[in-house]
Amino acid sequence: MPKPQPFAILLDATRCIDCRACMVACSVENNVPMDDTRIWVSGPGVFGDYPDLHRATIPYHCMHCLEPACASACPVAAWTKREDGPVVYDSARCIGCRYCMNACPFGVPHFDWNAGLLEQPLISKCSLCAHRLDAGEQPACVQTCLTGALRFGRRDEMIAEARKRIAENPGRYIDHVYGETENGGTSYLILSHVAFGLLGLPELGPRSVNEVSEKVMGTTIPFALGWAAVLAGVSAGVHLHNKRKEAAAQPVEEKE
Amino acid sequence: MSDRRASASRRDFLKLGGSSLGALALGAALPAPVAQAARRQGLLDSRGGGVIPTLCEMCVWRCGVLARVRDGRVVKLEGNPDHPHSRGRLCARGQSGLMTTYDPDRVLQPLVRVGARGAGTFRKASWDEALDLTAQKMLQIRDRYGPQAMIFSSTHNLSQTQFENLLGAYGSPNYGTQRSLCFNSMVTAFLVTYGIEEPARNYDNVEYILLVGRNLAEAISTSETGALIEALARGAKLVYLDPRFTKTAAKATEWIPIRPGTDAAFLLAMIHIIVEEHIGDCDFVQQYVQGCQQLPQAMAEYTPEWAETKTGVPADTIRRIAHEFAAAKRQALAHPGWRTSNFVNSFQTERAIATLNAIVGNLFEPNGCLVAASPEASGVNLGKPPQPAYPRITAQRLDGVPWKYPMVPLKLGVFQELRDAILAGEPYQAHGWFISRQNPVLSLPDRRRTLQALERLDFVVDIDVVLNDTGWFADVVLPEASYLERYDPLSVLDGQVFLRQPVIEPQGEARSALWIYRQLGERLGLADFFQYVDEEDYLRQQLAPLGASLEDLKASGRLSVATSKTGEITFNTPSGKIEVYSETLANAGFSPWPTWEEPPAPEPGQFYLLTGKVGQHTQFATQNNQYLHKYQDEPRLWMNMDSAAALGLQDGDWVHVTSPVGRVRIRLLATPAIRPDCVYMPPGFGHFSKALRTAYGVGASDSDLHVTYVDPISGGQALSQTFVTVERA
Amino acid sequence: MRMQVALPSRVDLRPRRLVWVLLGLMGIGLVVAVVRFANGIGAISDLSNTYPWGFWISFDLFTGVAIGSGAFVMAAAVYIFELKEFRPLLRPSVLTGFLGYIMVILALLVDLGRPERIWHLMIYWNHTSILFEIGVCVMSYTAVLAIEFAPVLFEGLKLETWARRIHRYIMPFVILGVVLSTLHQSSLGSLLLIQPEKLHALWWTPLLPVFFFVSAVAIGLAMIILESSLSASAFGRGLETPLLEKLARAAMVVSGIYLLMKFGELAWTGELGLLLSSGSMSLLFWAELILGSVVPLVLFAIPRFRHSPKGLLVGATILLAGMILNRFDVSWFAIRRLTDVGYIPTLPEISISVAIFSFGILAFILAARYLPLLDPQEKTSAPAEIAGAHG
Ligand SMILES: Nc1nc2c(c(=O)[nH]1)N[C@H]1C(S)=C(S)[C@@H](COP(=O)(O)OP(=O)(O)OC[C@H]3O[C@@H](n4cnc5c(=O)[nH]c(N)nc54)[C@H](O)[C@@H]3O)O[C@H]1N2
Ligand SMILES: Nc1nc2c(c(=O)[nH]1)N[C@H]1C(S)=C(S)[C@@H](COP(=O)(O)OP(=O)(O)OC[C@H]3O[C@@H](n4cnc5c(=O)[nH]c(N)nc54)[C@H](O)[C@@H]3O)O[C@H]1N2
Ligand code: SF4
Ligand code: SF4
Ligand code: SF4
Ligand code: SF4
Ligand code: SF4
Ligand SMILES: [Mo]
Repeated sequence: MPKPQPFAILLDATRCIDCRACMVACSVENNVPMDDTRIWVSGPGVFGDYPDLHRATIPYHCMHCLEPACASACPVAAWTKREDGPVVYDSARCIGCRYCMNACPFGVPHFDWNAGLLEQPLISKCSLCAHRLDAGEQPACVQTCLTGALRFGRRDEMIAEARKRIAENPGRYIDHVYGETENGGTSYLILSHVAFGLLGLPELGPRSVNEVSEKVMGTTIPFALGWAAVLAGVSAGVHLHNKRKEAAAQPVEEKE
Repeated sequence: MSDRRASASRRDFLKLGGSSLGALALGAALPAPVAQAARRQGLLDSRGGGVIPTLCEMCVWRCGVLARVRDGRVVKLEGNPDHPHSRGRLCARGQSGLMTTYDPDRVLQPLVRVGARGAGTFRKASWDEALDLTAQKMLQIRDRYGPQAMIFSSTHNLSQTQFENLLGAYGSPNYGTQRSLCFNSMVTAFLVTYGIEEPARNYDNVEYILLVGRNLAEAISTSETGALIEALARGAKLVYLDPRFTKTAAKATEWIPIRPGTDAAFLLAMIHIIVEEHIGDCDFVQQYVQGCQQLPQAMAEYTPEWAETKTGVPADTIRRIAHEFAAAKRQALAHPGWRTSNFVNSFQTERAIATLNAIVGNLFEPNGCLVAASPEASGVNLGKPPQPAYPRITAQRLDGVPWKYPMVPLKLGVFQELRDAILAGEPYQAHGWFISRQNPVLSLPDRRRTLQALERLDFVVDIDVVLNDTGWFADVVLPEASYLERYDPLSVLDGQVFLRQPVIEPQGEARSALWIYRQLGERLGLADFFQYVDEEDYLRQQLAPLGASLEDLKASGRLSVATSKTGEITFNTPSGKIEVYSETLANAGFSPWPTWEEPPAPEPGQFYLLTGKVGQHTQFATQNNQYLHKYQDEPRLWMNMDSAAALGLQDGDWVHVTSPVGRVRIRLLATPAIRPDCVYMPPGFGHFSKALRTAYGVGASDSDLHVTYVDPISGGQALSQTFVTVERA
Repeated sequence: MRMQVALPSRVDLRPRRLVWVLLGLMGIGLVVAVVRFANGIGAISDLSNTYPWGFWISFDLFTGVAIGSGAFVMAAAVYIFELKEFRPLLRPSVLTGFLGYIMVILALLVDLGRPERIWHLMIYWNHTSILFEIGVCVMSYTAVLAIEFAPVLFEGLKLETWARRIHRYIMPFVILGVVLSTLHQSSLGSLLLIQPEKLHALWWTPLLPVFFFVSAVAIGLAMIILESSLSASAFGRGLETPLLEKLARAAMVVSGIYLLMKFGELAWTGELGLLLSSGSMSLLFWAELILGSVVPLVLFAIPRFRHSPKGLLVGATILLAGMILNRFDVSWFAIRRLTDVGYIPTLPEISISVAIFSFGILAFILAARYLPLLDPQEKTSAPAEIAGAHG
């Protein structure tokens, strides 16, 4: 039986009116502290010269990468990529090193900068409302989006829907579904009428950023063992060599 | 912008917000104030968890809500998929609603003023004391000066019928509503023209949409906002007239930064083209439009070239848009607008819109995009408690209707005049003001005058959920239970009945308006007018004619009522037709045709001061909501960057904005998104009530600047007609 | 460079006054640390979601670990390659390394959001995480350094038998130490591999770990030179100029290799153009290579220079400056940010590092005074000098 496709959110920037209902919904649903947010407005806002103006913004949150760098990077494996899409966080493990924040190519995870030891600072980011998915519901942000700018479904269906919109509306969209390939593919897919870079979305290749580092990491144990063996060998060799030399040059006390 | 930086310095809210997350846990230790009715109804499990259908009240659109409750606390609000407004979705304000209920600044006990009026010093009082005091003062005023000396005012809400019942029973003709600040020109114009208050819009088949300053992407009506975006995604064209590049403008096919106050010229020129070139729906016009023969002649002078000189929009553009609009025929829609309180000529703008729709015949069912019936009046007959007739009122209305404003429908009134009559003492002196669910200190133009008026009165009572700026000036503040804590009379929409019911028990001593009005009625000796035992009893009496049980309604939150829909178009006007030519207007001494009235314009160096909603707040009410505060943009004065540069101002500078009546200090937003001759201030900021700890001190109030200008026909306030100067602070 | 600031030769080095200054700086750091633990990292630093890592990571972690590399270089030289002549330099290097790593851990305890959970590194393994590897290596290596340094301590406590016992089994630890060092010195470079799109192309390459390792060797050599020179002047100890000269030669060779590799990599990937086209990034790149490699290569190639104590000091300092700049570049300056939020380390932030550094110096001074930093097996220079220096 083929594995079911992961879920994905499809955002159509041409429909988004920057009303921020998704953001309030997220904050309420997920008890996000007042000084933090898991989803924020990204994009240039109004641009152009009066009166030839344009506007573009998107709600920005975790991309739920198919090969998440945050999960790859975290030293204590606090991130898990679920089969149904979400990249979720186990706060009980986190040591607050913030390497995930460096690793994430989308700048997604946030840290609780103003929490002292007792307030238990944590990383926060969108969970794709995994707990709602478990209950058979849509993510809170998608559920409330007034304009249908956010949609939710299986990733392949969302990509098909996005392609359909591009095909049916020539000229309306940039001919690319952001997230289809970026960083190895993501579960947040974006359709836009303006360059993705303008929206604050980084230009990324089809390989996940963690590919090289994971390869290097994979060589660690063999390398360590090999290197230890070499060093032991060298050490023994040198020792023997010196012993022999010493023996040969018995009488000489000090060389230098 | 609610980027991460902006929200990064706001941890204090958690501490301040006793009700927010940290304290939610604390509260859970207390006996859970779960809604007893909902529990009895079986909507909640034994631990006080479950989902309760109710209605949003974060704005007047009143979407359906499914409230999720856990351990006796509301934890999340979802849009009710079965409500035609929410269709499963809530806007930012609706989503934030539980914070309005759990606002740490809620007033949860009656307050009685102790210090000077406006000093904001109150003591807590029992309901008995506060109600007795209020009744005693109201009786005193009635006995001394007559019932007309007591002003009542309230903004659209579900218990408004009982508010009106109170004022009717008390016998005062003086009733102020938000209407004249909001939609008088639209409603008056459509009453005159179509005989209905506000036609419904239908986006199902629309192909060409003309929005005249109807900022649907920010002044949100969930379902309509969604329908517009849906139509645009389908390929409909949107032409949007607004001096500002709003979020709606950003979605428009064409944004026309029209000169403020000249929309009528633009629209009249469109009518001119359409009738001149016979490209409208002539059959429809001949059958239904009063004055169709003379229309071309009446519009003769309004050529696009003429309109260009008024509006600044090229004649060719107007001509092209007229052609496109007419070509779309019944799939064209010129939106009637909502807050149409812009200029003293806004009534004419609305008349032109009504005419434009009529001449392309889009009122035709089944495909028409403008529906000549208002959605609320859908033929559902609810019961009501029995009551005696109201006392006869002989006193003149202080707001000048109809003696000064013959065309203003009685129901709409002219709120600004009411305030000014307090100050003038003409035609008689008012002595008391009873305010419910309204914030006139901020919503009326010229805040200083409003405060002076309050100063002049013997007694002011305010019913609210927080101590807003009006409550700050009241003598008695009565805390209403929030919309998640109370019942209200039924809401009727599209042939369905919807229920607001408590999701949690009221916090503190807060009580429903139904309860408060009845208590007051009893103390005023008007018990006969309030013949209901409690809220549930009131609702049962409402439901009686429908043969429906309250219990069923509580479980589902709604009830479909069979209504007879006639396919026939009838217009409730004197002629029974669409009165593009109105005898009524002529008789009142106004132009019977939609006509051009030259609006005032700013002197060089002055700017039009514009207002308009933001998507994250409702009016003057939600700025203290911490969730909305979190996601709002910093309120700034918008000015075109070229104009700013010419004044030597830079983005972020502090500036003084000065009008003939006031001056405020605010930070400048230098942006390309506004006409160079306009500035804009988001309304609802600049609260001075220190009891609003989140909102206090944020931004400035445009109500400090607005001059009171009244449209002589519709009584609407002209909120774009104040001209200001700006200089570095 | 910072070393010079900490111990400039002009400043009155009478230990008592210096000790008070160091204690004062530590006190300030302690107060700041209390605020940090009470109110969060944001309360004292300019770190943000755009700059999750800043001065502490660049200075205390990246620079700290790099300059601690003298220990493994010397351990390898003395124990594995049996270059016995370097014995006099071994103990100070191991001590510097040990203290250096303790300083790194102290800094991490301040920088980690949840320092009380640092042990999670040891129990929740993530086999794809470079940071996991570094964490495990750094902690283990600190333990190894403790073992390597233990004989000195025991000698100081007059527990010579214990010292000898440890000494007898030292080899496996030395090998383990070198392996762990190789791993984490290079892995600090690997740490940045996960930011291929953020770290500027002049620096990002799959060879980062190799570059880090090679440069760590150069840094280790330069550190030993610098530290010997400084402690010689500070404690009036005899300077091992001939030994240091050899190290300088080694540093020269390593610098040459490093330079070749750096340019070779850019040439191989066809990115030589970036050397000129990347504005301030190009400048930084040139600065770190010129200071860290070209200048030492040239200077140390001049025998007269290499043989003079001053020349050694200057050469090593310049090398370190360049290499430290490299660590700052890769972990801070050359990383593209996703927002335009800026970052300027705050005084309190820096004061933490200063305090930790002061602690290191104080610990070194105390160790130098009270512990036999000179291997008793070696008699090349008179141990009496240490004691006799200040009396
Ligand atoms: N989020 C949110 N939604 C709301 C509300 C809210 O407070 N917040 N309030 C609700 C209520 S009560 C109302 S009445 C509606 C109001 O909804 P709208 O009728 O859309 O009213 P506004 O946003 O007040 O103003 C709309 C636009 O009119 C422009 N304008 C000003 N003067 C002129 C002019 O002379 N000509 C033209 N063409 N445009 C002009 C302003 O720039 C502004 O962008 O919104 C409702 N929905
Ligand atoms: N400058 C400027 N002035 C304007 C406008 C503008 O855009 N700019 N808009 C105009 C328009 S369109 C309108 S509709 C009016 C609106 O004018 P108002 O109706 O005066 O303003 P609101 O802010 O809606 O006032 C609502 C009040 O009700 C309170 N409230 C909220 N929930 C409850 C409740 O459950 N029970 C009770 N008892 N009180 C509650 C709130 O705290 C608030 O004080 O303002 C008009 N005035
Ligand atoms: S966007 Fe960032 S945080 Fe989200 S899954 Fe990808 S790497 Fe992880
Ligand atoms: S901050 Fe927490 S979640 Fe992120 S990498 Fe470090 S331990 Fe993992
Ligand atoms: S999916 Fe859930 S957690 Fe993520 S942004 Fe949407 S509401 Fe927030
Ligand atoms: S709710 Fe939808 S339309 Fe509103 S900001 Fe979010 S994505 Fe955009
Ligand atoms: S439009 Fe928003 S605030 Fe108004 S009723 Fe609907 S959800 Fe509530
Ligand atoms: Mo309104």
